[in-house]
Amino acid sequence: MQTPVAARERRFAIYLFLPAFLVLLVTTTVPLIYLAWTSVNRVDLTSPWIKGFAGADNYSKMLGDPRFWNSLELTVIYTGTTVVLQMLIGLGLALLVLQIPRGQGILRVAAIIPIVLAPVVVGLFWRTLVLAPDFGVLDFVMRALGFGSHDWLGDPNLALASVIVIHTWQWTPFAFLVILASLSSLPPDIFEAARIDRASSVQRFWYITLPLIRPALVIVVIMRMMVALSAFAAIFAATGGGPGSATEILNLYTYRTSFTELNFGYGAALAMVLLAVTLLVSYSMFRLRTAR
Amino acid sequence: MSNGRVSLKKIVKRHGAFTALHGIDLDIEPGEFFALLGPSGSGKTTTLRIVAGLEEASEGRVFLDSTDITNTEPGDRDVAMVFQSYALYPHMNVRQNIAFPMRMVGMPKGEIDAAVQDAAKKVHIEHLLDRKPGQLSGGQQQRCALARAIVRKPRLFLLDEPLSNLDAKLRLETRGELKKLQRSLGVTTIYVTHDQEEAMTIADRMAVFMDGQIVQVGSPKFVFDNPATADVANFIGSPPMNLIPASYADGRIRIGAHELQTSCRVGGERNVIAGIRPSSVRIGPSGIPARIDLIENLGDALLLDLSLDQMTIRARTGTEVTSREGESVFFSADPTAVHLFDAVTRVRIND
Ligand SMILES: Nc1ncnc2c1ncn2[C@@H]1O[C@H](COP(=O)(O)OP(=O)(O)O)[C@@H](O)[C@H]1O
Ligand SMILES: [Mg+2]
Repeated sequence: MQTPVAARERRFAIYLFLPAFLVLLVTTTVPLIYLAWTSVNRVDLTSPWIKGFAGADNYSKMLGDPRFWNSLELTVIYTGTTVVLQMLIGLGLALLVLQIPRGQGILRVAAIIPIVLAPVVVGLFWRTLVLAPDFGVLDFVMRALGFGSHDWLGDPNLALASVIVIHTWQWTPFAFLVILASLSSLPPDIFEAARIDRASSVQRFWYITLPLIRPALVIVVIMRMMVALSAFAAIFAATGGGPGSATEILNLYTYRTSFTELNFGYGAALAMVLLAVTLLVSYSMFRLRTAR
Repeated sequence: MSNGRVSLKKIVKRHGAFTALHGIDLDIEPGEFFALLGPSGSGKTTTLRIVAGLEEASEGRVFLDSTDITNTEPGDRDVAMVFQSYALYPHMNVRQNIAFPMRMVGMPKGEIDAAVQDAAKKVHIEHLLDRKPGQLSGGQQQRCALARAIVRKPRLFLLDEPLSNLDAKLRLETRGELKKLQRSLGVTTIYVTHDQEEAMTIADRMAVFMDGQIVQVGSPKFVFDNPATADVANFIGSPPMNLIPASYADGRIRIGAHELQTSCRVGGERNVIAGIRPSSVRIGPSGIPARIDLIENLGDALLLDLSLDQMTIRARTGTEVTSREGESVFFSADPTAVHLFDAVTRVRIND
């Protein structure tokens, strides 16, 4: 039997909870169900007369679609490379910055700038100012060094590397800041004990530093993977997925299928696959994190 | 047995404009249990860290067995240290913690295991080897840190207030064990503490630090019986020595209107500080009159607060004293129990 006070508390809690719940329902759950429904239907605005329930047709079509496999491969390469680069560069920078006695504060603030820029701005900035052939900053440097001019975003062999660099540039500061915070919170006496215990600087890094910042590293990897899997705006602004399908990761393929080729049914199925991949990766990473 | 003679020559340590150590000279004999004693902030830890190599001396040199180790890396000095915080590796279990110093030099696994067992046994933590430091009590952590230090058989142990984080009872027990352990290992040990009783009971010899200087070196008994300055006298012994302003003339001192005989044979007149340990204060039928302000009964002894011309003099007496609080008594002291210090320099006068 509930007391009147408890009942009133309960009602109050529901009032507080309800608006957020409704908003979430309308903005995420409903579209998600709609997406799932669309993915098992034929919805192609270029041939609107073929409509109706398609079952698993959209999904089985994927198996024989080379563009899908290409985009999946690009997604794996893009995610893997950007995350590894961010971790390595972020860790390296953090270790370096820890050594400098002054000016850490300024570096921390400077590191935030790329993070707060909108990805679409970053994509455009790189495309017009840095990577543009002939008058971009990078080309200027390369010509000065005698490597000649390159079309960094237009050359199918360079475009993927270019968008990977853009993403890495924007998000490495995040990894850097988190790792730096984690490193500076480590107790100094442990490292002194290790020095007395005859550990070289390399041994101290392997046996003390790395294990102690492992939780932070895993969290950063998880967060960076999720963002890399859902990367869109910067690539869209820089290359639009091209040239051809050279930078067409799953996200961009989904977008192009749905909104350029107007095949909503197939696009929805691709989106569902991306969702499944993201969920699977996050789940396994979290399992890895709690494993120890 | 490896040696372990430590010599510090004119060690100066500056932090910017602040000087933490003003030229320390110290010689520690092989196998000695040597305490660095002094109030907080007097430079004991700094001295220990300079011996360990964790901090660089601004001036001066450090010798270990006639090798100049002033610029040697800590790991190459063959010293082991127990930190005040213990500094155990939190992600390793006790076994891995103790094994760490040997793993780092690539000792074969079989030898490491045997050495870990042996060290753990010496400090009675064999049953805790698979625990992480976070699952140990303070006393167990302290033993783990100790095992990690003794496992290497170093030439020198450095201990920085190793007992200060333990509760009073455990501190007493561990103190005794530490002393026995050091005796059985025979390794030179430098032991930092601010607790004078700890230093008195555990050390073969000690150095008393004050404001970045060593004011006295000697055996605990010698320092207790012959404090070099009034400040050392006040620091060592509990309750602390009574320090009474007095004037001195040819072996006698005057406290206010009263006189007291001393064993000092220095001639002339001067202002002094007379030091009398509470346990040397005698309550009797004659002497200097004073009023009893407070009596604290310790069971086997009484602590009296005597007031004399706005001064408080503490006395530690047997329980046979029957006077009550508020009553007047007479006190005196054996001439040999009166320590004399110069009123200005505070340096000891009698020998
Ligand atoms: N890194 C430092 N910077 C400035 N002053 C310091 C530093 N380390 C120690 N000191 C000062 O040096 C003096 C001696 O310190 P320490 O050796 O730790 O004293 P203790 O005898 O209590 O162990 C203290 O006054 C302390 O404030
Ligand atoms: Mg200290």
